[in-house]
Amino acid sequence: MTDLTMIDAICMALSRALEDDPDVIIFGEDVGIDGGVFRATDGLMQRFGATRVRDTPLAETVIAGMAVGAAAQGLRPVAEIQFMGFLYSAIDQLANHAARLRNRTRGRLTCPMVLRAPYGGGVKAPEHHSESMEAMLAHIPGLRVVVPSSPARAYGLLLAAIRDPDPVVFLEPKRLYRALKEPVHDDGVALPLDRAQVVRPGDDLTIVAWGAMVADAGKAADALAERGISVELIDLSSLKPIDRATIRASVQKTGRCIIVHEAPLTAGLGAEIAADLAEHCLTSLLAPVIRVTGYDTVMPYARLEDRYMPDAARIQASAQQVMEFA
Amino acid sequence: MTGNPDLCQPDCSVFLDAEGHALRALPDFAQGSEALVALYSMMVKTRTFDAKAIALQRTGRLGTYASSLGQEAISVGVASAMSEADVFLPSFREHGGQLWRGVTMEELLLYWGGDERGNDFAGPRQDFPVCVPVASQFPHAAGVALALAHQGAGGVAVAMGGDGATSKGDFYEALNLIGAWKLPAVFVINNNQWAISMPRAEQTRAETLAQKAVAAGLPDEVVDGNDVIAVREATMRALDRARAGQGGTLIECLSYRLSDHTTADDASRYREDDEVSRHWKAEPLARLRAHLVAEHAWSKEDEENLLRDSRAETEAAAERYLAMPPQPARAMFDHLYAKAPPDIAALAKEMGDD
Amino acid sequence: MTVFTLPDLGEGLQEAEIVAWHVSQGDHVITDQPLVSVETDKAVVEVPTPFSGTVERIIASEGDVVAIGAPLVDIATGVAEDKGAIVGELGDGEKDASPADTPAADSPSPAPAGAGATPAVRQLAREKGVDLATLTGSGPGGAILSSDVLAAQAGSVTGDALRGVRRSMARAMARSRDTVVPATVTDRAVIHRWAAAENPSLRLVQAIAAACSAEPALNVWFDGKTRQLHSHLDLAIAVDTSDGLFAPVLRKVDTQTDLAARIADLKAAVKARSIQPEALRGATFTLSNFGMLGGEHASLVVTPPQVAILGAGRIEEACLAEDGQPVVRRVLPLSLTFDHRVVTGGEAARFLSAVRADLERPTHHAND
Repeated sequence: MTDLTMIDAICMALSRALEDDPDVIIFGEDVGIDGGVFRATDGLMQRFGATRVRDTPLAETVIAGMAVGAAAQGLRPVAEIQFMGFLYSAIDQLANHAARLRNRTRGRLTCPMVLRAPYGGGVKAPEHHSESMEAMLAHIPGLRVVVPSSPARAYGLLLAAIRDPDPVVFLEPKRLYRALKEPVHDDGVALPLDRAQVVRPGDDLTIVAWGAMVADAGKAADALAERGISVELIDLSSLKPIDRATIRASVQKTGRCIIVHEAPLTAGLGAEIAADLAEHCLTSLLAPVIRVTGYDTVMPYARLEDRYMPDAARIQASAQQVMEFA
Repeated sequence: MTGNPDLCQPDCSVFLDAEGHALRALPDFAQGSEALVALYSMMVKTRTFDAKAIALQRTGRLGTYASSLGQEAISVGVASAMSEADVFLPSFREHGGQLWRGVTMEELLLYWGGDERGNDFAGPRQDFPVCVPVASQFPHAAGVALALAHQGAGGVAVAMGGDGATSKGDFYEALNLIGAWKLPAVFVINNNQWAISMPRAEQTRAETLAQKAVAAGLPDEVVDGNDVIAVREATMRALDRARAGQGGTLIECLSYRLSDHTTADDASRYREDDEVSRHWKAEPLARLRAHLVAEHAWSKEDEENLLRDSRAETEAAAERYLAMPPQPARAMFDHLYAKAPPDIAALAKEMGDD
Repeated sequence: MTVFTLPDLGEGLQEAEIVAWHVSQGDHVITDQPLVSVETDKAVVEVPTPFSGTVERIIASEGDVVAIGAPLVDIATGVAEDKGAIVGELGDGEKDASPADTPAADSPSPAPAGAGATPAVRQLAREKGVDLATLTGSGPGGAILSSDVLAAQAGSVTGDALRGVRRSMARAMARSRDTVVPATVTDRAVIHRWAAAENPSLRLVQAIAAACSAEPALNVWFDGKTRQLHSHLDLAIAVDTSDGLFAPVLRKVDTQTDLAARIADLKAAVKARSIQPEALRGATFTLSNFGMLGGEHASLVVTPPQVAILGAGRIEEACLAEDGQPVVRRVLPLSLTFDHRVVTGGEAARFLSAVRADLERPTHHAND
């Protein structure tokens, strides 16, 4: 077992999938000879050949639409959209087709495709390259949306997504691509989809986060522990469907919840979770449910990026506010 | 282009003129009567079904419906050239082609009547259902073609769309891709001169729609879409090319939309009745009928039997469709995923069984 | 509206059988469009539509034998009705428009009666039989906390109450540490001129009242953002008990007479455990006379939203210098801990000087 970055873990999972299932194919812009602009598909074309790993022309709509068609015909396409900011052109094919094909043909045609895209900010990228609009996708019935928070989870969840018989959008927090390393075993074991993970247990306050925010929430939790506040940290992992049972059980125990996401506040997934808690955990709540999020503004350019994104300090300050409702 | 009943310009492939006379030697399949009768029968059946669908819509028993009046030769011609290994991806005006491929009248009525079961084809299991977001079927066809090539059984993806569809990004991207990757696909355009109220001349400055293939490096062809023999023949050649590994083709079939865009449209708001009348003179069924009568002794009894059989089949399908009870409400939760996640399962359970 | 009759089909034919209609009622038909197929002796003939219009009524049915000139179909000429939609059914707008809604959405829903408390706290209050209306909350914005509910219970029930008070103290101290920036300044009041029977607690209370007049900046509430000045002094007096620390509040010290008696009453109530929860709330300043138990100077804990606490140490004799000569005097050590986020060193020093000055007077003339 070696220590891998998230990008290496993703590459390993893709390699594993290509090896295990001859129906798996990969395509997208620059995924072939260049190995992907972040090296997610590094070396795969060289190993598996250009019929399994192909470069497409610059055309997000057809990348997504072709995945629909190929999946319906029996392949397992893993398509890459180079950045979430360019995924909007593909939403028509996702919402109007991928998400509906099984339902509108009563199961006759299905769509076992994966659409991968780097998402989120924090890497000083040019504009449009730091989007977090995952709530748009999570709103689409029939779709799955998955976000890993670590290299090992990226490996296991991507394998699960590829093996799943339904369409999955796999959003990779680019800030984590090389930020940390951990042991990842190439055992071909998929992690379960549709489940949130309790990263650390606690008693006083539940923090729900996903993607790069899980690490920041973890740092805040460490600082809070020094102040005697025991945080239960949940990595949502599955943005659609949301593992409501795990979140509810946690808040029933702690009575307090903070939800952290990079994405803008209004109509972000924090709102969905807060509404669910208001509906199902009202009498457990000791304090208001707080969302620590990006602001309702266009993601600023690189210079102001750090002022936009939630960080450990903001999370900690909100946690302390919530704990005022002791 | 509009206002001219004689749509087929020079360089347009045609075998039978508007009166049914052969302009040149007919292809092999059109020498004997068998194939021609099959084609004519399917076109008549399509038109009969079409009229019935409109009648059902008028009486509130079918949803908004898109008639294929006058364009029967295109989808029937295309489908008749395809094999079972091929996959058909229609837009929403290819009823004849779908029927030829084995979709039942009942399934079509269920779809247009607002019941998803209509897309669960018992016959052609891999064919795509009707596609509403214009031109989005072309990227699907690219994907299907990719898979067919991968599967190596010689299948070809055949997608159809209208003149309006050729203005969409989906169309260009897919055309470009099947060219760049040399995929086994055939794109057929039903140029019926109208995209709702937009006449063909205003849709694009391009002289033909077929020439858009040049930008993708693909061969293209313009065909008289009212001559089912020409449509089938061109499609056969394109399929052969694809099967031989030579890649895709774009075929433009010229015809005229003799009906409104859909049952909810009123075309007299934007076009002259006179223009429509003129195009009736070149319509596909009359021309093949004339040829059959002249060359293959198509008799009055043959015609009558065909009309009655078509009517009987259509009526029977309509009756079965009307007698079918709607799905229970909880069916809307079925087939969202292979296995419903907990919250969906819980909602479905709440809905009950009625 | 025009009735179209079966035209002369030629060849001397008098009648024909309707084989198939190609249009239905409601269709918009166009000149030359195939209308109906009829069977003659020789052929099945398609009869074209003679003019454009809308099919109003099909008169002859399939299977009917119709004579030349007999009515076939009713076609309404003229402009067809505009459906006004490209898909679906939009209706014909015949229903009455719903009456204009009075805009109710914007008016805020009436605030719930009683103080703010989360549902969990309300549930707890229900379980413990505590009336929320009797409580003032110590949470943000006056919210009632579960500790408030439990503390309220402390006045009447033994056993559980212990935990409540001690837990409250622990939480309050932690909260202070998380927000307050404490600084301490110390001094000694030389009280050798006091009468023998002078009541130190009373003198301290009076001195604090006097100092608040002289330097009002320490008699405020601060929540981290807003600073609220107080016109009255509500002074919490720390009382140590075996059950824990209580701080009953002397209300409006600056206007009260009979302070000594009231101080005694409060201490007795604490001792008897009959102190009411509201008597423990809302102080603007705190006095900790820890010297009665022991100790000289101390850094104390400010209880937000208060900004200061005065600690009085053990009164004892000390060797001082006066006019260059050593003398022995009775002194009262003073420690003033203040929240340096909102109180300046100057304000604290002035306040403490005022306290000292008042204490060093032989008597406090203003009261008693």
